[in-house]
Amino acid sequence: MVSPVDAAATNVGAGNWKGLGMWAWLLFRIAGIVLVIYLFAHIGVISSARWSGHSTLNSALTLFDHPLFVLLDLLLVWAVLFHALNGVRILLMDFGLGIHRHKAVFVVCMAVAVVGLGFFALKAFSYIAAHHAGGLGGLV
Amino acid sequence: MNAQATGHSSPPPAAAGTDPAPTTGRMRPSVLDSSRGGMWGWLGQRVTAVVLIVGLLTHIVDTHLFNLGHLSYLNIGDRLGSSFFVVIDISLLAAAIFHGLNGARMVVLDYWLQTRASRVALTIALWVLGSATFVYGLWALWPWIAK
Repeated sequence: MVSPVDAAATNVGAGNWKGLGMWAWLLFRIAGIVLVIYLFAHIGVISSARWSGHSTLNSALTLFDHPLFVLLDLLLVWAVLFHALNGVRILLMDFGLGIHRHKAVFVVCMAVAVVGLGFFALKAFSYIAAHHAGGLGGLV
Repeated sequence: MNAQATGHSSPPPAAAGTDPAPTTGRMRPSVLDSSRGGMWGWLGQRVTAVVLIVGLLTHIVDTHLFNLGHLSYLNIGDRLGSSFFVVIDISLLAAAIFHGLNGARMVVLDYWLQTRASRVALTIALWVLGSATFVYGLWALWPWIAK
């Protein structure tokens, strides 16, 4: 028998959660790193108007209308939703809310994230269909 | 073998060097230890998380669900013509920079920087970078805000 401290450290008895919790942690971290990189890229793109005028920003924004960038945007929305909803779960655990039902809390949080992604996916694909019905040709 | 025989009675003694204070509350003190980012970083990460959930939801839903279409210099200006979005965007800028850089700091502390001096140096460097980025971001938004 292991001591309570050792059991907590090695997550003994966690069952399926041991694997699921590990993936939740890893994806949370990867999404977080992606979002930090995006944050600086975003500030860089928006500030381009200040360096070289409106047309530089406008041509960048036109490029982002391309289906490839719309799909990348959708991936970004997933990173935001996953990171945000897993973060909500972490905040709830910090407040001691739902600790005894933590797997159910995780499932509900992920369900909210998936439903949210659904709304954005619907918008993204209808946008691509409306603006690029003639095919997914060259950039811009 | 029972718990008594392994030398662990209740409450269990902390492993040397991991839990410097007794576990009295819900939180394990090691979570708030300076090697894990400290109490202020922990608290700041949670406060900015709430700001980001509200602000980013507003920002993304407004940009991509309500106003989906071609973005341009002019319609970004339309949005920033409303003081509501000026408040949202500036608090997002500050909260996102803090949350992102503090998150990156947590990742770094998980793998590197064993000495206190190197951790303080990282924290100072990130505060300088974050403050500069905030001022730069404000400068970038200013033509729209001041218009």
